[in-house]
Amino acid sequence: MVARRTALVFGIAATTAMASVVSCDYKPRNQGRVLYESECQSCHMENGQGLGELMPPLANADYVKENTEALACIIRYGMEGPVVVNGVEYNGQMPGNRQLSEIEIANLIHYLLEVLNEQENTMTINEVREQLKGCKKP
Amino acid sequence: MKMRWNLNAAIVTATLFAAIGCEQAEERYPLAVLGPYQVSDVVKDGKMVTDTSFTSVRPFEFYDQDSNRVTEKTFENKVYVADFFFTSCPTICPKMKQQMLRVQEEFQDEANLLILSHSIDPKRDSVGRLKSYADKLGVSSDKWHMVTGDRDSIYSMAKHYMIAAQEDRLAPGGFAHSGAFLLVDQKRMIRGIYDGTSADEVDDLMKDIAWLLEEQP
Repeated sequence: MVARRTALVFGIAATTAMASVVSCDYKPRNQGRVLYESECQSCHMENGQGLGELMPPLANADYVKENTEALACIIRYGMEGPVVVNGVEYNGQMPGNRQLSEIEIANLIHYLLEVLNEQENTMTINEVREQLKGCKKP
Repeated sequence: MKMRWNLNAAIVTATLFAAIGCEQAEERYPLAVLGPYQVSDVVKDGKMVTDTSFTSVRPFEFYDQDSNRVTEKTFENKVYVADFFFTSCPTICPKMKQQMLRVQEEFQDEANLLILSHSIDPKRDSVGRLKSYADKLGVSSDKWHMVTGDRDSIYSMAKHYMIAAQEDRLAPGGFAHSGAFLLVDQKRMIRGIYDGTSADEVDDLMKDIAWLLEEQP
């Protein structure tokens, strides 16, 4: 009897505690942001502001806005060597993200352009697919 | 009646569950002394008593981004924050450096607070490479020493500070290491360990630095 009561108490308690935790719902349309946080932000920082002259910014970045046709390949295969972003030269090495699928890259680009750079015209999955066919693999 | 008791107990238990994850409202100060200590029996006032003595950070010798020799004397009577990183680190280091920049900024005019970042990749991280990294990051050379030196000394120093660091071919960049910041006081005692990638923990670190500077001149 005591055991059953204890079980009931814990049952209700656990359910109440869980209900307050499972509010972090996952929406597919947020995939770009989720991917940004897991793959990009450790170097490019939480709001895409970059870090000093070590890591280029991705938010409000002329390089991103002016090189949309190169983004998919950069995300998948990385880049190295000098690059000028908003007038500052960066010369680091970015690792590729070969584990990302075409749709994931498309969602990430969508996040980069629409959220971090306030661009109205983002890229379609077909455009991303075409770009990825033409990448120069390092 | 019994059911009501069950419900009440359930609510209390749920509240307890929820509280476990929350920060304890305990008093942070005075900050504890951390690290290895020795317990010995000593005679005090004619009585045998147990005495605990903590080990201070041991002497070291490295070279910073300006080729200056950096030793424990550089930090004499000062508070400092220590960490371990490498310039080609693709994972947690940029975040750690972003947070350490906050510390530098907060204590820019405080001569008694210094920063000591050790490279765990001394083979590639030459003085020149550290210099270029420091300049691009925006490091003030008089406040923040980025050091390189003998590989074994650096790794044994990490262990001494209770920080995990090792070469690991499988880890991104070739090294596995912790992102911890260590707070060391004027007597070279370790007073705090913080997650250097967490803005919240670095907030705590900055409060603790201010406390040390004020309370223990």
